[in-house]
Amino acid sequence: MTEAADLPEATSHRLEELEHGLFTSDLSVNEFLLVKHAGFHPLGFVMGSSIYHTGIQTRRWGKSQELTKLTEAMYNARELAMTRMEEEAQELGADGVVGVRLDVNYYEWGRDAAEFIAMGTAVKAEDGSSYRNAQGKPFTSDLSGQDFWTLMQTGHVPQGLVMGTCVFHIAHRGLAQTLGTVGQNVELPNFTQALYEARELAMTRMQDEANRLGATGIVGVRLEEKSHQWGSHTIEFLALGTAVTKGTGAATLPVPTTIISLDN
Amino acid sequence: MTDLRAEVRRGVSALGQVPAQGRGSTSDLSIDEALLLHSVGWEPVELVTGVSMASVPWGVWSWGQGEIAAASAAHATAMRGASERLTEECDRAGGHGVVGVRVAVNVYPNHVDVELVGSAVRPVGRRGQPPARPFVSDLSGRDFCLLLRAGWEPLGLAFGASFVYAPRRSARTTLGQAGQNVELTNFTEAMYQARELAMERMQQAALDIGAGGVVDVVMRQGPMTFATHAIGFTAWGTAVRCGPEGHRHLDPEMVVPLDDAVVAFAAESLRGRPANAE
Repeated sequence: MTEAADLPEATSHRLEELEHGLFTSDLSVNEFLLVKHAGFHPLGFVMGSSIYHTGIQTRRWGKSQELTKLTEAMYNARELAMTRMEEEAQELGADGVVGVRLDVNYYEWGRDAAEFIAMGTAVKAEDGSSYRNAQGKPFTSDLSGQDFWTLMQTGHVPQGLVMGTCVFHIAHRGLAQTLGTVGQNVELPNFTQALYEARELAMTRMQDEANRLGATGIVGVRLEEKSHQWGSHTIEFLALGTAVTKGTGAATLPVPTTIISLDN
Repeated sequence: MTDLRAEVRRGVSALGQVPAQGRGSTSDLSIDEALLLHSVGWEPVELVTGVSMASVPWGVWSWGQGEIAAASAAHATAMRGASERLTEECDRAGGHGVVGVRVAVNVYPNHVDVELVGSAVRPVGRRGQPPARPFVSDLSGRDFCLLLRAGWEPLGLAFGASFVYAPRRSARTTLGQAGQNVELTNFTEAMYQARELAMERMQQAALDIGAGGVVDVVMRQGPMTFATHAIGFTAWGTAVRCGPEGHRHLDPEMVVPLDDAVVAFAAESLRGRPANAE
């Protein structure tokens, strides 16, 4: 993996300003108040981005297979963006980043290139205790302020945003196969198998990342499927979630009240 | 038949007048937001707007390098003008601030236009002299109440924008990179810088009005529809300050709404979707 380049000059200037007491955050007001209630103070809006050119890999029309080169590209690019975001957080002396979003943008002028962005709000514990993860880095998490608060009340601590990705080419069906199934109720085992395998690969990779962080679980897992710009038979399977460990704190989650709201 | 001219004249002259005692209020707040406002001792006064357009010099969108400073400056001018007019209208209506401001920014080849619409509010019954500088905030009435109860106060909208040309790759680099997994470092750097610049300007604006933080930051980015090689970054949020009594913790209450059953399983999902669906 390539080393993340140093953050641009504008960044250090912006972060310097943030160190003097001003905070910025894309948290909504209730998220802001909940993060405060959980004992954290927002430090600043942090982000990382990378414009990445993805390579080409030949696909065989009738063969289901993982496109390792594309998988690698998706991994690398996201990793670069995330690392830069973590660097910004580290610069601010943060304990973690909450509300992380990962986006992919395409531009007309960038053939085969895409911009990968990671952004979130860097937070720091108000009581001075460290919440950094097993690797000594600020934790990252895609949980919203509400989810973060709830998680902390249950005595769990986020460790990091973990992801697994797999770009898979799904074989086309041959003419004979297509003709053989016309008008019948039958499972298409090659499609089933290919999709199964791709998803399992993505999930396994995500779990491996969580294991490396020494996590005891992953919450809020999302499994996304995207074709990006590769046509219908090449699909990226992306599994994303927040790895958590059970902290030392006891669960203080209040008993929920049932309500009937009067909104429509 | 009504005399249209007389009507318009009456309307225009009414614009400059202080609203009469006991006159009803106009606002685009929903009923629960208005009630919430009352619960923290505030009331809506008037719907206020601020609009401003700033011209962009001809030809700045054509190819170039680095920041499109003229466009960034036009954006800043339009934004300043619009919020000045908004606060002026609020002042005239006797408001102490504007909440729920909707922000619409449109960039055209020759001008930038900014529209701000929101509800002027004031503490209940305070018809006297409004403060020297009414606050402006894009927070909803609900968020405004929450913020007040937690001991914070909104100060104003902080804005930042920057426009940048996408860098070009020479034919040789493009060829060299064909078929490879590589990061386009010059692109990354240009975009990074532009985004940071927009955020930095927003921060500076917040610092200028003595804010302690900016909440609910919205970050927009994208190519101009008329010039796809020019990319605009805008960032804005409500600048806030912690009041003299400091932050108050509001204890949230856990609730389980009994309204609609959560749809955990949709039958349509079984049917699947075409693989190329985005």
